[in-house]
Amino acid sequence: MRLSRIGRRLLVFNLLLVFLPVAGFLYLDIYEKQLLEAQERSMVQQGRVLSAALSGRGVLEGGEVEQVLRRLNRRLDARLRVVDTEGLVLADTSRLRPKEYDRAGGAGPSPATAGQAAASPASAAPARRNLLYRAGAFLADLTRRAPPPSEPAPSAEEAAAGKLDGKEVRAALSGRYGRATRVSPGQRSVTLSSAIPIESGGGIAGAVVVSQSSYRILQDLYAVRLRIAEIFAVSVLAALLLSVFLAATISRPLAALREESAAILDRRGRLRGTIRGLARKDEIGDLARALEELTRRLEDRQRGAETFASDVAHELKNPLASIRSAAELLHDVREPEERRRFVGIIQEEVARMERQVSQLAEITRIDARLENEEQVAVPLNGLLAQIAERFRMRESGRVGFDLRMPEEILAVRAAPERLTQVFENLLDNAAGFSPDGAQVRVALERSPDGAAVVRVEDEGPGIPAENLPRIFDRFFSNRPEGKAARLHPGLGLAIVKAIVEGYGGSVGAAGGRNRGAIFEVRLPASRTGVFPAGAPTGPG
Amino acid sequence: MAELWRAVVSDRAACLIFHRMQSRTELVAVVDDEKNIRETVAFALKREGYRVNTYADGAEAWAAFKRELPDLAVLDILLPRMDGRELCRRLRAKSEALPIVFLTSRDEELDRVLGLELGADDYLCKPFSMRELVARVKVLFRRAALAADPSRREESKMLRAGALEIDGLRYTARWRGEPLALTVTEFLLLQALARHPGHVKTRQQLMEEAYPHDAYVSERTIDSHVKRLRRKFETRDRAFAGIDTVHGLGYRWTEDDPR
Repeated sequence: MRLSRIGRRLLVFNLLLVFLPVAGFLYLDIYEKQLLEAQERSMVQQGRVLSAALSGRGVLEGGEVEQVLRRLNRRLDARLRVVDTEGLVLADTSRLRPKEYDRAGGAGPSPATAGQAAASPASAAPARRNLLYRAGAFLADLTRRAPPPSEPAPSAEEAAAGKLDGKEVRAALSGRYGRATRVSPGQRSVTLSSAIPIESGGGIAGAVVVSQSSYRILQDLYAVRLRIAEIFAVSVLAALLLSVFLAATISRPLAALREESAAILDRRGRLRGTIRGLARKDEIGDLARALEELTRRLEDRQRGAETFASDVAHELKNPLASIRSAAELLHDVREPEERRRFVGIIQEEVARMERQVSQLAEITRIDARLENEEQVAVPLNGLLAQIAERFRMRESGRVGFDLRMPEEILAVRAAPERLTQVFENLLDNAAGFSPDGAQVRVALERSPDGAAVVRVEDEGPGIPAENLPRIFDRFFSNRPEGKAARLHPGLGLAIVKAIVEGYGGSVGAAGGRNRGAIFEVRLPASRTGVFPAGAPTGPG
Repeated sequence: MAELWRAVVSDRAACLIFHRMQSRTELVAVVDDEKNIRETVAFALKREGYRVNTYADGAEAWAAFKRELPDLAVLDILLPRMDGRELCRRLRAKSEALPIVFLTSRDEELDRVLGLELGADDYLCKPFSMRELVARVKVLFRRAALAADPSRREESKMLRAGALEIDGLRYTARWRGEPLALTVTEFLLLQALARHPGHVKTRQQLMEEAYPHDAYVSERTIDSHVKRLRRKFETRDRAFAGIDTVHGLGYRWTEDDPR
């Protein structure tokens, strides 16, 4: 099975964790040393007990010593020997119960008891022959320092049969504590030997020699090592499976996402469909959902751009058609009056196209403008009064403008030019739909939730219910036929919407009370810009 | 021969025939929400001697049509209050023969109009040539007049190419004896192709033949007309393969009918 890059990394991390138990092999060396020290302490303890029991008796008698040994014997697990001042063995626990002491005192004096391999318990051998153990031991040996050099003790502990002549014995017989470690050839186990002098009166009556093989300790360590090796093997297997599983749950869905995201772009870099969100609840699922949302929005955007281009083409074709027709007729017609008429049509349509093109440029730039323009607190009371005054002059009495302002000054953080654009477009729209003599009502108020609300109401024909959802769409025009319609490319309300939403507000449209239409702009009121009544109204 | 056909197709020849046939008192209805388009179209048609009524939206036009049907209707597709397709459907329900020309500023709309088999007789894309529109109106009146008067059959200038029969006077075509419902544009294209079987006609040549008065037609428009033309044959004859696409060049009428 081929692992992905993430899969490989996971495997490496998992294996690193697995190798931690291997460090345990190293630790076992320290453990071994501690065990040996503990063993020596217990041996010395046992020797002291015996030495204390035998001290003060003067010259040691073999039979007497054997009696004492026999009494102690049951509580001992090391081999105890008592020697006289010459080093001759007076008593030996291994002779009392040979079988039992073979085990404890591996390095016995006689060749029969010295053969540890033969004396090893049967259970230890398979542990060492175990393949797993050997593999573990091989790894451990690579890192294991060389075994501490043992003291060059004479290979034969006893100079002659029945006589001990080790350096520890000599030390004990000269009144000191003596110890020696002996390596048995071909074996990893060592024999620890301690000698404690037996005092009698002012002199030394002999020595107690305690010896014990480290074999039992090693055997325990073998078992531990084997255990570690087993754990290691199982862990490696577990790490492998875990890595494969993790790779499957992490890198496979990621790879699927990657393939999908590569597939939704066609050769020309156009989006084709969206990434399907995965049903997973984890982070990868979140990623997939985020990508789905991203591609969905991109697709909307792309579709918007495409329909925008086609809308623009459509909108420009109408004035172009009029211009072309008028130009052709201008070419064919001789009457000056008719010619003037067609020139008028051409000029009118050119002006319309010009307005369309500049509004198109406007609407595509709004987002960038909103971002870059400096925003100040604009008091709406003053702004609306100014705009209404301009419209009164423009309409020169054809349409009336009725303003209703609150006591307080409501301000909005925005660029003043953009806000002017919003309300000019709304009033322009309202005036355009108003029959002669009608009123356009503009009201400003604070909504209960603190927003500044501007309502523009006209007495025009209103908006058919089926057109309400599209009224703010680009190029949508609900305009009746008439001269004013020529100058409205249907972008005014789209621009209103883009600006107001850019400032975090909202726009809505509804049918009016009688006929007419109501447009409502809600903008977040600026906190710093709310002045009490009577305060300066800014550029009003 | 080709020159003769071209002369027949050209509006000057058509004018002569019409002046002989009847005086121009036909009523043309122009429905478009663009005031200047209405005005210029009305002016151009009046100059040709037609009576013209203009309407700014579909509902207004329909209200007038209920009182008096025009002899020909020029409709914009996107109209306020009642859209051009609905108006066309209603007109068709009243009169099978009434020629209808669509004006459109969106190519997609064209496909929808023709896909719905509303039975438009022709269509022009904005910005259209006024001369082209006037020529089409004349052709449609002639086609309608000849269709209404079968006794004039002997004057037909017939063109045969295999199982295809083209009547260059009536602007009608038959495939295996069955009439094909072609728009004027489609008819002109088919005629240009079938006149020289086996010869490749480039898109540019086809454009000149199908739109003799309009130099600004895109080559893509020709492709979509040919596509529709093939579809109309296929509704009569599933195995139709009379129009070959010659890759990179244009189209040709295949000389021999395989059957």
